[in-house]
Amino acid sequence: MSQAHIDSAIKKEYSAGFISAIESDTLPPGLDENVIRFISARKNEPQWLLDWRLEAYRGWLEMSEPTWAHVHYPPIDLQAISYYSSPKSIEDGPKSLEEVDPELLATYEKLGIPLHEQEMLAGVAVDAVFDSVSVATTFRAKLAEAGVIFCPISEAVREYPELVRKHLGTVVPRKDNYYAALNSAVFSDGSFVYIPRGVRCPMELSTYFRINEAKTGQFERTLIVADEGSHVSYLEGCTAPMRDENQLHAAVVELVALDGAQIKYSTVQNWYPGDAEGKGGIYNFVTKRGMAHRDAKISWTQVETGSAITWKYPSCILRGDNSVGEFYSVALTNNYQQADTGTKMIHLGKNTRSTIISKGISAGHSSNAYRGLVRMNPKADGARNYTQCDSLLIGDRCAAHTFPYIESRNPSAVIEHEATTSKVSDDQLYLCQQRGLDAEKAVSMIVNGFCKEVFKELPMEFAVEAGKLLEVSLEGSVG
Amino acid sequence: MFEFMQQSLDSAAQRAPAWLQDWLRDGRDRWEASTMPTRKTENWKYTSVQALREHFAPAAAGARLLRESDIDLPQLVGSRQVFINGHHSARLSDSELPDGVSLVRFGEASTAQAAHIRQYLGSAAGEAGTLFTALNDASLAEGVFVEIAAGHRVAQPLHLVWLTTNQGEAFSVNQRLLVLCGSDSSCAVVEQFAGVRDANKAFTNGVSELLLARGATLEHYRLHQEEGSDLHVGGVYARLAEQSTFNSFHLGLGSELKRIDVVVEHCGQGAHSEVNGVYLPRGSEHIDYHTCIEHRVPDCTSSETFRGIIADEARAVFNGRIHIHRDAQKTRAELSNKNLLTSTRAEVNTKPELEIYADDVQCAHGATVAQLNENALHYLRTRGVSRTEAQSMLSFGFINEVIDTVRNAALRDYLRAMLARRFARDPALTRPTA
Repeated sequence: MSQAHIDSAIKKEYSAGFISAIESDTLPPGLDENVIRFISARKNEPQWLLDWRLEAYRGWLEMSEPTWAHVHYPPIDLQAISYYSSPKSIEDGPKSLEEVDPELLATYEKLGIPLHEQEMLAGVAVDAVFDSVSVATTFRAKLAEAGVIFCPISEAVREYPELVRKHLGTVVPRKDNYYAALNSAVFSDGSFVYIPRGVRCPMELSTYFRINEAKTGQFERTLIVADEGSHVSYLEGCTAPMRDENQLHAAVVELVALDGAQIKYSTVQNWYPGDAEGKGGIYNFVTKRGMAHRDAKISWTQVETGSAITWKYPSCILRGDNSVGEFYSVALTNNYQQADTGTKMIHLGKNTRSTIISKGISAGHSSNAYRGLVRMNPKADGARNYTQCDSLLIGDRCAAHTFPYIESRNPSAVIEHEATTSKVSDDQLYLCQQRGLDAEKAVSMIVNGFCKEVFKELPMEFAVEAGKLLEVSLEGSVG
Repeated sequence: MFEFMQQSLDSAAQRAPAWLQDWLRDGRDRWEASTMPTRKTENWKYTSVQALREHFAPAAAGARLLRESDIDLPQLVGSRQVFINGHHSARLSDSELPDGVSLVRFGEASTAQAAHIRQYLGSAAGEAGTLFTALNDASLAEGVFVEIAAGHRVAQPLHLVWLTTNQGEAFSVNQRLLVLCGSDSSCAVVEQFAGVRDANKAFTNGVSELLLARGATLEHYRLHQEEGSDLHVGGVYARLAEQSTFNSFHLGLGSELKRIDVVVEHCGQGAHSEVNGVYLPRGSEHIDYHTCIEHRVPDCTSSETFRGIIADEARAVFNGRIHIHRDAQKTRAELSNKNLLTSTRAEVNTKPELEIYADDVQCAHGATVAQLNENALHYLRTRGVSRTEAQSMLSFGFINEVIDTVRNAALRDYLRAMLARRFARDPALTRPTA
């Protein structure tokens, strides 16, 4: 699609208002139906997707912002956000890393993501999203050989419209909640993964998301479809440059695990959490949900250390008999960060099983809440859930909360829930310090031990990163 | 909106003593300013108050029990006060009170007593209360004030019984109890609610305020034995001063609608509370216990255990909150809630909550939902016990562990016998699947 063609298409629909915006490749702040039409046209989307977006937008207009989460923040002005921006120098679409704007690559280097090396790093393909548009995709050939589709969702809409149309919005409906509806209306880009029947994805799939341009909310949409008997492990990690204004991030992730399929979704999230006074930082309001069909398995692992506010509940709908859902989470908050995170396990099928391991660490003036739901429906015969939520407190100004909802309507289902809250034990600290570790190092070691059950679920390179992240995030919280 | 109580409120305002009139007006203002909870109201997510949407006449005075044998009361060595449809029954009540205990009914309070009561009334239920506490305030024509003199160790329990019987139409009862335990005193208070089988629909709104002064010890029992169409929405609100000890036991048999809020506030250092309970709904009954343990100051401990067996199409709700305020360091708090479902149509919704703002604390909670353990059943059967009997034994055992915490031996025996009869009579409570 040529630039001229896009421009003319847009000009036709918007005789006024957007011309200057097109030149700067960033829309002026504001949201209305025209913005959605612009995004859709810009991405050259088919009519059905535009209609889908508009329907979501109209639903969203009638919804109100959720207030039940244990987080506090000033009202967000959604009209002050720009809903589209694209890095300018890549409009022609780079075919390989060499064609990527060297300035972008320099930014990656600063963030410490060795993109060049990652091609060499065994088994990791990267689909990097820089301000809403995919700029580089690697290992495409190798994946294509296995029949795996791994591409930006905007591309998937053009190349595999049937697949996208069949699954988009089936797990997180357009009007599921306020932020999911907003995302459905304005989603910029994201990843699409399809693993064909019986295929074991030959490598870990990984996407790095970046937020770069000021005042640009990001609305990624990720859709992963694992066909019958297939297997995939997906890694998501994020960093963002220092910034003083709050940035809204409202992503939607949908996982579809068809009969016998397995999806493992791992996240390391270390977006800018705001400074020590609680100024700035990302607002992270995410909807993540997976649908597990018969004998399928969905496993969420997350390490959340960033964001000023986290509002995130990766969930599993265990629809098929014998399906399995897992949630392993470490959420660390420091300074003035607030997190309200957890999971929902909805048991619909017989003999469905779920495990929830949640470790919350609060330090400084932060607040960290686990909010979860385990629901056994009348037909979930023999279903099983085990939940363990532990909270660790560091400092006397922080807060830790646990809000587990447990609903059972089946006598043969077994649910166990346990939660504990305590501080880092003085005895353990004393022992470490007596062995010559300074207090900060000792706390970091104890915290790492506290999180071990979750870290061991992470792919190896993520586990290493996660350990380091905790250390960095806890800086200044001890002593 | 609240027409269903209008007549009762007017009647209460007529009957209430002069010194309570402003109290009733204030309560009525708050009640009328509130909105009825719906499924969207977080605290009422699983409990519908639809059953209250009908006309309840004020409870008439002079109701009598047709047969006293209808009501099975524990024979406790102590003083007993009986209220029928909210009105005191001199005939069924003891005239003597144990040494160190004074009891004043609001309607009979002298000016000095009234001033004394007003000093304490609402100090526990005021802030923590729900809209139904406002309703209770608005209907406060009769209440009971009990004071245990400082330093008195009262061995005999005070037994307060609220009975509901026929009135010919649906009616409402307002029950209010205010207990003031003087410093270093100790005593036991048994609150018992029961109805006559096949009586009309009665809606009891009960509020008990328990105030423990420094070093006081209170053994408290709240037995809800109303069944069938007897509705109860109410709560227990306790305030604990330093070094005081509060032991509270709750029994909840189900009825069409039962919602009990238990709020325990640790307001003085070194206070300790223990709250235990058992709930046993069956048929199409509904029971909801909302407990909230507030730790406002350092160095307090609390422990809570609730167990329930849910049979037939019954529904149980349990919400156990532990709230540790900023600077309430060195707190130890724990909560356990276990549930047995014995039917495919039974339902339980449990939510143990922790809300913690201090770091040097040890808190834990646990919740389980399951049916009887097959291995345990199998073990008993290999010992020659029939399946039905094994189920009965295991279910009773499950509840009995909590009954064991009842300190008063006579009451413990009464509860055991009553529950044993119930288990024998009611196989639905022990069947793993219907």
